[in-house]
Amino acid sequence: MADNLPSEFDVIVIGTGLPESIIAAACSRSGQRVLHVDSRSYYGGNWASFSFSGLLSWLREYQEDSDIVNESPAWQEQILENEEAIALSRKDKTIQHVKVFCYASQDSHDDIEEVGALQKNHASVTSANSTEAADSACLPAEDESLSTVSCEMPTGQTPSSDPEHAIEENYVDATGDKENHCDDKTCMSSTSEEATSENVPTAEDIAEQPKKNRITYSQIIKEGRKFNIDLVSKVLYSRGLLIDLLIKSNVSRYAEFKNITRILAFREGRVEQVPCSRADVFNSKQLTMVEKRMLMKFLTFCMEFEEHLDEYKDYEEITFSEYLKTQKLTPNLQYFVLHSIAMTSETTSSTIDGLKATKNFLQCLGRYGNTPFLFPLYGQGELPQCFCRMCAVFGGIYCLRHSVQCLVVDKESGKCKAIIDQFGQRIMSKHFLVEDSYFSETTCSHVQYRQISRAVLITDRSVLQADSDQQISILTVPAEERGTSAVRVIELCSSTMTCMKGTYLVHLTCTSSKTAREDLEPVVQKLFTPYTEMEIENEEVEKPRLLWALYFNMRDSSDVSRNSYNDLPSNVYVCSGPDCSLGNDNAVKQAETLFQQICPNEDFCPPPPNPEDIILDGDSLQPGAVDSSAVPEANSETPKETTDLGNTEEPSV
Amino acid sequence: MMAIRELKVCLLGDTGVGKSSIVCRFVQDHFDHNISPTIGASFMTKTVPCGSELHKFLIWDTAGQERFHSLAPMYYRGSAAAVIVYDITKQDSFHTLKKWVKELKEHGPENIVMAIAGNKCDLSDIREVPLKDAKEYAESIGAIVVETSAKNAINIEELFQGISRQIPPLDPHENENNGAIKLGKQTMQASRRCC
Repeated sequence: MADNLPSEFDVIVIGTGLPESIIAAACSRSGQRVLHVDSRSYYGGNWASFSFSGLLSWLREYQEDSDIVNESPAWQEQILENEEAIALSRKDKTIQHVKVFCYASQDSHDDIEEVGALQKNHASVTSANSTEAADSACLPAEDESLSTVSCEMPTGQTPSSDPEHAIEENYVDATGDKENHCDDKTCMSSTSEEATSENVPTAEDIAEQPKKNRITYSQIIKEGRKFNIDLVSKVLYSRGLLIDLLIKSNVSRYAEFKNITRILAFREGRVEQVPCSRADVFNSKQLTMVEKRMLMKFLTFCMEFEEHLDEYKDYEEITFSEYLKTQKLTPNLQYFVLHSIAMTSETTSSTIDGLKATKNFLQCLGRYGNTPFLFPLYGQGELPQCFCRMCAVFGGIYCLRHSVQCLVVDKESGKCKAIIDQFGQRIMSKHFLVEDSYFSETTCSHVQYRQISRAVLITDRSVLQADSDQQISILTVPAEERGTSAVRVIELCSSTMTCMKGTYLVHLTCTSSKTAREDLEPVVQKLFTPYTEMEIENEEVEKPRLLWALYFNMRDSSDVSRNSYNDLPSNVYVCSGPDCSLGNDNAVKQAETLFQQICPNEDFCPPPPNPEDIILDGDSLQPGAVDSSAVPEANSETPKETTDLGNTEEPSV
Repeated sequence: MMAIRELKVCLLGDTGVGKSSIVCRFVQDHFDHNISPTIGASFMTKTVPCGSELHKFLIWDTAGQERFHSLAPMYYRGSAAAVIVYDITKQDSFHTLKKWVKELKEHGPENIVMAIAGNKCDLSDIREVPLKDAKEYAESIGAIVVETSAKNAINIEELFQGISRQIPPLDPHENENNGAIKLGKQTMQASRRCC
């Protein structure tokens, strides 16, 4: 764009992940002139979420080794004698070991004999003119390159460059893999045969669908916009720091949430629902009367455990799981408390930590619903965008697809004074906040990283079917071997606006010990079965079927200390990428700490001024006489809308 | 008592075509020559009657994020309608209209009502975009189109009335997926998504 950026700011933020976005909002809110850039074409960095086609293009970026070095003006010659430069990295190296598997039917004409009946239906369902493209895109053929991206938009977009690398390459894997998925002994679903048809979308789109709803790959492609696939899988603790911040700053008005509806446990090869609220406990059919009393008694104790030091101080030295054994709890209950409520494992946490985690869980119950967790509609990737909007509302300037070539450091003061961007423009600032993936290897040569293993699955039904097919569940699968970590599974239904009707989006996360696939595939095999064409009509399928799967490792820089970066000036601040934990506290803490360094003594994201307190200039509007009876002809509904300070948003009442 | 339906409306169009001014005129019947280019109200509301319903428009401004083509997908979420604005005195702004429509189709909800506003029609002596071109284009994408002047209060009300008429009547089955939670209200409260 010809539009030029101003050449001076107070704060330049590089990267649009959650912590950076919160800081940008906070700085802008307190009057700093903020420039917020990201070299990517989307918001959120590793906190982003993508439509299905968006995810495919994201994958392509990581599978292609090509260094797309676009010819940027050389910055070196701009560096003056009394200056030094810290070059920034051009390529994001935070994602590794990407593997994609597609199990859903490909709609290809080759397998028509196996699924003849289905085939007809597909034809009618995928009648948009993009069908051909979508179909062929799924095949490992050569000529399909242009289709995947475009076929998601039936309006006929200009197709972008070849998306096929990923899929094609993995095709080999996918087929080979079907055999690998051994039939596990376990039996997952509890409900009857009708279950299979429960997920059939009920409304508009089904007129011609088969009785058994089989989702094909081309349907996934076609409905790709319905997906919002998070790179990090997290939820919000209903009394966690992020919820408090959203409310306090009024950023919450930009987002809507759903309650996680149930907590699940995986025990003896079965998925079970964990009773966690009082009502759940009493309504539970799996617990005996005695167990119910035991559990209630124990949970009540946990709520105020600090006041009963004598009851646990003898156990402070041992692990929480050992401690639970000393309590009056059946093994069943111990399991629930350990894995699903405290969400810890046999070996990792002490009695105190376990009690604290249990208490935290219980305190979050009931604020918004029956479980302690909320999930944002359209995915976790909305949250950075919400904070960015707040920053923009207060004057922050936003540039995606805008990379920074280097930081310019003044030799004498040792401080950073400017950046040079991709166009060779020098932009001055007082403070520089950089997401760590932008640093080059030179800056990070001493940094050690952990890794997060991630899997994203699209499945055809829930791991635990219930009356409603719109459940949002968290399931913890304990580690099988020592030294590995428990796997957290979050299953999202279509009403979270993250997947198409009739499917579930399942996120698996754990701290890596090997590649994501090695870490997570055993759990995937326990819970799901790959979709196959040859199922016999009436055979009861025990597990949900996998339609599509993705594995990748993401770098976890959350515990990297600032000191481990080489030669950073004191006014360059570092934000880490996402951590592996379930909540977002780490991002908020990080943001608040860095904000206090940039703007000491300033309030962190205070609520915007209440527009009703703004004095209107000579208007006859009466503050306070607010709405409802709405005289539509009168100019405005309420006196809230003024433009005086430019910050006049409607307060969420 | 008429039912109030909240409808999110997002504004699109190049910087400087008068997006904020249109809202300002509609909501406050006010026009300010010196409205700051980037800082605007993030959303404003106005309620108008439509048949047996009241439509409460929540009109979102871009907050300047369009300037460097950095609008977030979250901006479009749940929009019932979009007002895409161009400046009749700037051919360029009409060209980029198509780009905004494309972006809307990519990120916006399906079945969003599209309204094209050719703003600054008070300056028709330096017009660069013939109304006919706009009408043809609007027809091709199924949008309503009107030339407006925020400055002289021409067709602003009509623009929003036009949108109101295009909004499909409330689908009684729509409610099943609701139960989304808005934070920051005193109690937990199921809120309607506005589409």
